[in-house]
Amino acid sequence: MKKQRCSEKINLFDLLSEEIVFIILDCLNTNPFDKKSFSLVCKSFYITESKHRKKLKPLRQEHLPAVLIRYSNTTHLDLSLCPRINDHSLFAISKITSFTLQSIDLSRSWGFSSSGLLSLTLSCKNLKEIDISNAVSLKDAGAAALAEAKNLEKLWMGRCKMVTDMGVGCIAVGCKNLKLISLKWCLGVGDLGVGLIAVKCKEIRSLDLSYLPITNKCLPSILKLQHLEDLILEGCFGIDDCSLAALKHRCKSLKVLDMSSCQNISHLGLSSLTSSIGGLQQLTLAHGSPVTLSIANGLKKLSMLQSIKLDGSVVTRAGLKAIGDWCVSLKELSLSKCDGVTDEGLSYVATKHRDLRKLDITCCRKISDVSITHVTSSCTGLTSLRMESCTLVPREAFVLIGQRCRFLEELDLTDNEIDDEGLKSISRCSKLSVLKLGICLNITDGGLAHVGMCCSKLKELDLYRCVGIMDSGILTIACGCPDLEMINIAYLKDITDSSLLSLSKCSRLNTFESRGCPLITSLGLAAIAVGCKQLIKLDIKWCHNINDVGMLPLAHFSQNLRQLHKILESASF
Amino acid sequence: MDLKEGLRAETWAKSSLAENEMSKRISSNNPCFTDFNSQQYQQKWEDPSILDYDIRINPAFQEFNQPPQNQSSLPCDPTNQIKNPFQMNENLQTNKMQDWDPKAMLNNLSFLEQKIHELQDLVHLIVGRRSQILGRPDELVAQQQQLITADLTSIIVQLISTAGSLLPSMKHTLSAATPSMGQLGQFGGVPFPPGAGLSDSIQVQNSCAKKVSNQSNPIDLVGNSGTQQNHAVEEHDLKDEDDADDGEQLPPGSYEILQLEKEEILAPHTHFCTICGKGFKRDANLRMHMRGHGDEYKTPAALAKPHKESSSEPMLIKRYSCPYAGCKRNKDHKKFQPLKTILCVKNHYKRTHCDKSYVCSRCNTKKFSVIADLKTHEKHCGKDKWLCSCGTTFSRKDKLFGHIALFQGHTPAIPLDETIKGLAGPSDRREGNEATSKIGSTNFNFGSSVPNGTGVSDMDAKGES
Repeated sequence: MKKQRCSEKINLFDLLSEEIVFIILDCLNTNPFDKKSFSLVCKSFYITESKHRKKLKPLRQEHLPAVLIRYSNTTHLDLSLCPRINDHSLFAISKITSFTLQSIDLSRSWGFSSSGLLSLTLSCKNLKEIDISNAVSLKDAGAAALAEAKNLEKLWMGRCKMVTDMGVGCIAVGCKNLKLISLKWCLGVGDLGVGLIAVKCKEIRSLDLSYLPITNKCLPSILKLQHLEDLILEGCFGIDDCSLAALKHRCKSLKVLDMSSCQNISHLGLSSLTSSIGGLQQLTLAHGSPVTLSIANGLKKLSMLQSIKLDGSVVTRAGLKAIGDWCVSLKELSLSKCDGVTDEGLSYVATKHRDLRKLDITCCRKISDVSITHVTSSCTGLTSLRMESCTLVPREAFVLIGQRCRFLEELDLTDNEIDDEGLKSISRCSKLSVLKLGICLNITDGGLAHVGMCCSKLKELDLYRCVGIMDSGILTIACGCPDLEMINIAYLKDITDSSLLSLSKCSRLNTFESRGCPLITSLGLAAIAVGCKQLIKLDIKWCHNINDVGMLPLAHFSQNLRQLHKILESASF
Repeated sequence: MDLKEGLRAETWAKSSLAENEMSKRISSNNPCFTDFNSQQYQQKWEDPSILDYDIRINPAFQEFNQPPQNQSSLPCDPTNQIKNPFQMNENLQTNKMQDWDPKAMLNNLSFLEQKIHELQDLVHLIVGRRSQILGRPDELVAQQQQLITADLTSIIVQLISTAGSLLPSMKHTLSAATPSMGQLGQFGGVPFPPGAGLSDSIQVQNSCAKKVSNQSNPIDLVGNSGTQQNHAVEEHDLKDEDDADDGEQLPPGSYEILQLEKEEILAPHTHFCTICGKGFKRDANLRMHMRGHGDEYKTPAALAKPHKESSSEPMLIKRYSCPYAGCKRNKDHKKFQPLKTILCVKNHYKRTHCDKSYVCSRCNTKKFSVIADLKTHEKHCGKDKWLCSCGTTFSRKDKLFGHIALFQGHTPAIPLDETIKGLAGPSDRREGNEATSKIGSTNFNFGSSVPNGTGVSDMDAKGES
């Protein structure tokens, strides 16, 4: 369309100022190929587009210098698709983008050393964000190089296991403006490094200290941080009740706290912690100590609490009742894999917290239709319901979900008794974008047709091992859900190439899993490859009829493909 | 006796003439040092009479327990602090029995008389010598003049102190200097009674004597020390505080001040065999050695540890002064801080005023003058791995982080070897040698701007960190 306009009214485009073209380009976000087409129109478009682009996500490092020279205004450089980034590339980046670069993602790259990092941090003075996660060989020298980025605000360095307190100390001293730092799995960092960060970087908003060997010593200085909003202490075994009881500081700014898997914290420590953190909005206590009456009462003081996640903990009936008695109105409750969630407790909580938006009761195997009845009747505003493997819930209960919870956007019914009636009811949720129906053996094409007809916003559909589904069901989905991005039809034995041909119309499809579909052939795969150019992840394991004929178009058209599962079963491959 | 006295006078004259300021108080009081001194004199003066010196010592030793008239016959050198005290102690001891003893006064007077006689002898001697030594008269004359002035000053001071003993406020809490000569700490010194009047006068005497001695010996410590050493004094002033008496604030005058001379401090041995002259660090070792010289040294009494006189009177607190003029530990310093023990003196003097000749074999940078310090350092050398960008090292990581938390701009310094490893590690493994060399060359541009040398600049062999 643009091509046409361009060729016919070339003068009109000359009249448009660059800024207006930029605004037009801003709207071309949905498909990455649109901008490419735009730039191929003519030289001036090419130049305009290269000036407009701010974010780069190159696939190969070889062309980095040329690409960077072309896109001179690049502020964000995402190198997560370039697994090999050597120091030359970093030198080139630092020379070419020395004034513009603000953000760089090296989280999936390796091959660079601290000298490359140093050149980057020394010349790119405006660098604000660095993601260097998974640099497992990065040592303190590398951390010292990072410390030269004086304007750094966000730093992710998860799994940098070789970095010690010394390196983190350098960062703490060098990067005064840090607002976010993630030290998850940096096993060499202890109290001293974390304490120094808390002392030197006063601007910290978000701190991820998961799985660090920290103890009570650094907690006081952390909680003294004026602006700290987000604190993740997942798996910090060194923190125990005694330290929390000794805490005297009131941390008013803290909003999000994650203390999952902190085994040494009981209700005593929690109650003393919550008394010092009044403004908490989101609390995660997954895999922690049993949620008993005392814990629930201890958390009562959190008057601003909106979300609580208790995944994997043992929940007692009294504890659930006490949660129900909280004066606050929860928006999000996660009880996934919690032992001890019963109909009685869940019903009580649901009737008290009527504003619930998200409810996760995955693997709460004791609940039945009683709970679902209460949940659906009182929490009508639910947007997300995840109830995988609630095996006691009968098929009639799912009808209630569709009838009462019209605002659902995410529904996980994996491994449930839902049937076509339930699906028909659920299809009323017109905003549904994620629907997971894996191992729902009772559903057939008829039910799925309702979904395909009504849920036009569907983006993700999981039909893993839904043996009742055939080509016609997939056809309705492909026709009714043009925005589909992810579909899983693994182990659907009756699916043939016709399904794939219909799915190839979903141009936004990026994840396609058809593992163990014996009937699909290279022809179908070729159709997918041609139609779904944004395909990123493809699983065609155990599809014995797919051979080189199917792989060739895949190689030609699916330029974004990153992950491919295919068993090497024939000599031809 | 006459012969002895004559000998002694001669010795005294010689030693006071000696360029070396090694004082004769040791030579007469402590047989161990006598030997040491006499050897030096022997070389310098080539005087055959000195050869008898060693033999003379033992009788002199015994004399201490003899009546005061013997004591008074002891040569009292004006430059010598120890002999005066001896005299004084004797006097004081006698004074103790009666509050004011005319006998003591008489003793004092006879002492003065004796001194004047000695001075007379000295002048005679000089007159006699002048005819012998014609080669270098000027230098000698100057020395002799100084010596005589010194003696005269000493006599005056003694006179004043004797007069001071008449004051009614005088009290005798002092015990006489115990004649256990093996103890270095027993050298004596001027005992200061708590009484204000007398103690002042004695102090005057003491300091005068010292000053005089400095004058009479042109080549003194001060003369030896250049500006460099003065600088060293300032540098180590702080360090000296370690030896300080833990904030102990004794009022001036409430303790007696002893001052050893440089050679005594630096002497490797403090106990010497009177027979063969062999030196020992410990008295006990000397006694073991003495057994070889005859059966009389094998008796239990001779082998027994010379017990300190357990007198009922409280011992006077002893404090020590550093012989280095201008040092804060020197008693002439206006903010004088005394040293507590002999060991303190030795360590202080070696640490502050001597060359640091012991070099750590591990780091080859740290130097020490006291071997014990070297050994202490070697225990921890290489363990101070926690380094700050300011160059300070810490043996404990938490101390380093406390330091960094306290100071703005200080940052942990990554050790050099780790920096190189951190550089070479990944690139060697993944990119091969080509990449590594390129890293090095390209890095050159950035290396110079690395502030703390914590980065790659180490690769360029700048070695900043």
